[in-house]
Amino acid sequence: MRTLAKLTTVETKLLVREPGAVFALAIPLFILVVFGSAITEGDTVLLPMAVTMAIGLVGLYLLPTTLATYRERGILRRLSVTPVRPANLLTVQLLLQLALAVLAVALLLAIGIGLLGARAPGPLEFLTAALLGTAAVFSIGLLIAALAPNGRSANGLGVLLFFPLAYLGGLMQPADRMPDILVLVGGYTPFGALRQGLHDAWIGAALAPAPLVTLAVYAVVGGLVAARSFRWE
Amino acid sequence: MAIIEVTELGKRYGTQAVLDRVSFSVEEGEVFGILGPNGAGKTTTVECVEGLRRPDSGSVRVLGLDPFRQGAELREHIGVQLQHTHLPENLKVWEALDLYASFYDRPRDWRALLEQWGLADKRDARFAKLSGGQKQRLFIALALVGDPKVAFLDELTTGLDPQARRATWELVKRVRAEGVTVVLVSHFMDEVEELCDRVAVLDRGGVVALDSPAGLIDGADAEYRMSFRLMAGDATDPSRLLGDLDGVASVSRTGDLVAVAGRGEFATTVTAALAREGVPVRDLRIDKRTLDDAYIALTGRSLQV
Repeated sequence: MRTLAKLTTVETKLLVREPGAVFALAIPLFILVVFGSAITEGDTVLLPMAVTMAIGLVGLYLLPTTLATYRERGILRRLSVTPVRPANLLTVQLLLQLALAVLAVALLLAIGIGLLGARAPGPLEFLTAALLGTAAVFSIGLLIAALAPNGRSANGLGVLLFFPLAYLGGLMQPADRMPDILVLVGGYTPFGALRQGLHDAWIGAALAPAPLVTLAVYAVVGGLVAARSFRWE
Repeated sequence: MAIIEVTELGKRYGTQAVLDRVSFSVEEGEVFGILGPNGAGKTTTVECVEGLRRPDSGSVRVLGLDPFRQGAELREHIGVQLQHTHLPENLKVWEALDLYASFYDRPRDWRALLEQWGLADKRDARFAKLSGGQKQRLFIALALVGDPKVAFLDELTTGLDPQARRATWELVKRVRAEGVTVVLVSHFMDEVEELCDRVAVLDRGGVVALDSPAGLIDGADAEYRMSFRLMAGDATDPSRLLGDLDGVASVSRTGDLVAVAGRGEFATTVTAALAREGVPVRDLRIDKRTLDDAYIALTGRSLQV
């Protein structure tokens, strides 16, 4: 217990010292505030976009970069010759990155709803979509961490995936201004499915099954492949 | 008492045999060297002993434990410095020691280690800001923080400048003085000669010799050289005088400088022959036989690539 507490404290400090963590918090917030001046009372579009982007930045950029760097620098290997199992470090990291994603989303909700007057989502629908979406995005992040040979290439892969996925997912511009075919295709990408699920939650509709199933498939398949292909060194 | 017992250790990757019947034992309190060129199987051997790799055949016992099956118990009592490992760049020196101390049941006081290893003024420095020597000292301190019975130090001084290497050697001697058994993996002859009580020479996955550095040098029957200068006007033909003596391999002359190469006690035989024939010489030099020469004799090639 003492070991896990210490590991969590140290990893939290490292996360706070990591500029990437600040970016993951700041970028969606920045976009929300910049576009927020233009949103009307009861907006249901901007927050699903910003929330998806926040989860995406942590899961696709920060998580794989951190984990692949730990492997590349031999930190996992060094741990494996101590009484602590390296899996503990991965678990602590995963939980911390989840906490960071939750913090980023909470900040967006507080500012978006509290200050900018956006509409509040249906809580149960929001939680369902956000949880499934986080699971899907983090699974893909773990898969990148498993496949990338080092931290730099994990970072590169994450960024390379992020922008096309963000475009298809309707994070670069509101979906109603995108060609129908792109919205249709985008619905089967992780960001698109998450944003659509969140949008359902925000307009107060029942959650459509297609985005949820899409997210669940990404979560399960990505997670399984990542677990099977992860190398400790 | 043997602290490490390695018997007929074998390991292959695919069809490539990396280790072939490697056997040695390490006694309590000694500095045991594992010497060999890159690719000789040094690191694989140590990794099997540490429990990082599972041997394909043979047996390994460390402190009476099987490193693979009883790894959890063993890891409480060994300290390891691995080649090619780093710490997170933003981790501070004291945080690293504090964290690693928390991994063990009965750790040493990391504050004392900080003082002892000259890192006290770097307490709050981040890992990325440390010099090569400071990083190395931190790695040794981390290897000792669990109060281990055996410490494994792998290529400790690779990449350090000569001064930092010498300083690191002093540190290893200090570790040993504290009663910790040390297994030192190295491809530096001078390092092994300076630090190790006994050395296993590994080549192509097998142990080709196992002795003290002095014993290896004596036992290797390596060729070495002596030289001297003849007095001006001396008409002696050194080849005729010395060429057939016991142990002499070759005699060459450049001006008044005569160089003789040979094995065993040839230098004594040569000086005796010169005295007997009444040939006065100056600048007599007999090269010290080194572990390097012994190594070449053992493996047929030089280590210093």
